[in-house]
Amino acid sequence: MSGTPFQVAALKRVTMSISSGEFVGIIGETGSGKSTLVQHFNGLLKPAGGEVLFEGKNIWTGEMNLRELRSRVALLFQFPEHQLFEETVFADVSFGPRNLGLSGNELEERVRFGLECMGLDFGVFKDRSPFQLSGGEKRRVAMAGILAMRPQVVILDEPTAGMDPLGRRQFMEQVSRLHREEKLTVILVTHNMEEVALLAERLFVFYHGEMLLQGRPADVFGADSLIKGTGLEIPPLSELLQRLCRQGKGVRTDIFTVNEAAQEILQLYRKECV
Amino acid sequence: MSGMRSITLGHYLPGNSLLHRLDPRAKLLSLLIIITALFLVNTFYGMLFFVFFLLAAFLSTKLPWRYFLRGLKPVLYIVLFTLVLHVLFTKGGQVFWRFGALTIEERGVYLGLFMTLRLILLVVTTLLITLTTSPIAFADGIEFLLRPLRFLRVPGHEIAMMMTIALRFIPTLMEESDKIRKAQMARGADFESGNVFRRAHSLVPLLVPLFVSAFRRADDLAVAMESRCYRGGENRTKMRQQQITPLDYLGVFTACGIAAAIVFTGV
Repeated sequence: MSGTPFQVAALKRVTMSISSGEFVGIIGETGSGKSTLVQHFNGLLKPAGGEVLFEGKNIWTGEMNLRELRSRVALLFQFPEHQLFEETVFADVSFGPRNLGLSGNELEERVRFGLECMGLDFGVFKDRSPFQLSGGEKRRVAMAGILAMRPQVVILDEPTAGMDPLGRRQFMEQVSRLHREEKLTVILVTHNMEEVALLAERLFVFYHGEMLLQGRPADVFGADSLIKGTGLEIPPLSELLQRLCRQGKGVRTDIFTVNEAAQEILQLYRKECV
Repeated sequence: MSGMRSITLGHYLPGNSLLHRLDPRAKLLSLLIIITALFLVNTFYGMLFFVFFLLAAFLSTKLPWRYFLRGLKPVLYIVLFTLVLHVLFTKGGQVFWRFGALTIEERGVYLGLFMTLRLILLVVTTLLITLTTSPIAFADGIEFLLRPLRFLRVPGHEIAMMMTIALRFIPTLMEESDKIRKAQMARGADFESGNVFRRAHSLVPLLVPLFVSAFRRADDLAVAMESRCYRGGENRTKMRQQQITPLDYLGVFTACGIAAAIVFTGV
């Protein structure tokens, strides 16, 4: 499209860095450039200007093999169940590692790892057709296919879109466990503010192709007026705690679970009403 | 897959010229007549007339040149092939050039150039219509023209509906294939290297999900249409009722006139 009147700048002036082992969230309304941005991280899109560095190396100058990069920085697209194509779950999950040249025991080990990370039993699932699984299972199999490459970084683009609340919670718990136990760097692109507030250590807020804000979830959601202009919503919990804070009540605003928030408010209640 | 993006099916360019405003039914009918006339022309004088006629029609549409050139590109090889075949293998008349068993003779050059011109003019005529008719109007026109074949049980409405749906889904499927291709590339798939067989094989991870999703979409669409009580062409009215204007008659009569003149004068 470049050079035609249809050309548009999808992303402008974006400078960001993500450290190894971090869990970051990228949020922004539909069309804000989030998905375009993350496709630059593993070289699926080439920036028209600017550069993308991985471990200090520019990914486009030829020092880095793009296929190798993609196995280390894995990207799970939205509705990943649409990418399944093999006859069995084993064959599908092993597609990534096979492309890395693995075979035999090592391949099986990778597939087992991937499936079990997502809470799918290797023995039960390996010979089933991916097309006969339920929606949630399909998505886990797709995720297992990414994890079987043993990446250092996973980019998840709206991984829980269209899932029921229980499925969502389980999926994100598995991701969060991988982050903790395998030291996996996770980049989560989402609309779900509660999810990202709870899990991410740092947030990047995108609006119309530009990065509007970055920081800890508590700070980002504290920047009330800025966030509201982007078409995003502050998680109800944060909203409540912030309102209390503005009324001069001494509550913490960096709490993102219902239980902790209940404790905090209960404490306040006891202090003030006794 | 940049090659896939360059497919410009139904490359309609909106505008407000005479040809744009003509009724699609009149346009399609005129197109058929002009194409038939192009096949009946026997002399270069006749061809020359068509060159000027189509040039005038083209100028009246105010369409940019490059859209025509782009439209002509796919047939370039067929045209060249025809030219070479005629020049080398049609015999008769003065011999221009001889190399062993190969000869280039007067009749071959004449027929080669004539056929080339005819092919190019056929494509230009068709382009003039497709560039100025929206796909939906085009399908409506087809439906109308197929109506006389109803007694042969040709399902005109269904054919038009299929065309419309197919055109509607081209961009969707293109987007889908782009997404799946990227998703598989993220899993280390390689679509570019290797010989023909390897590359054909590497398309499996792209084609299987694409077909699955196409069937899923078809299913969804069928359910959506049925739940709106769609049941084919019988007694169905249209949202855009097309009005035949005197201009449309004029167009069809002009086309008829040209064809008749060609037949009677024998040019």
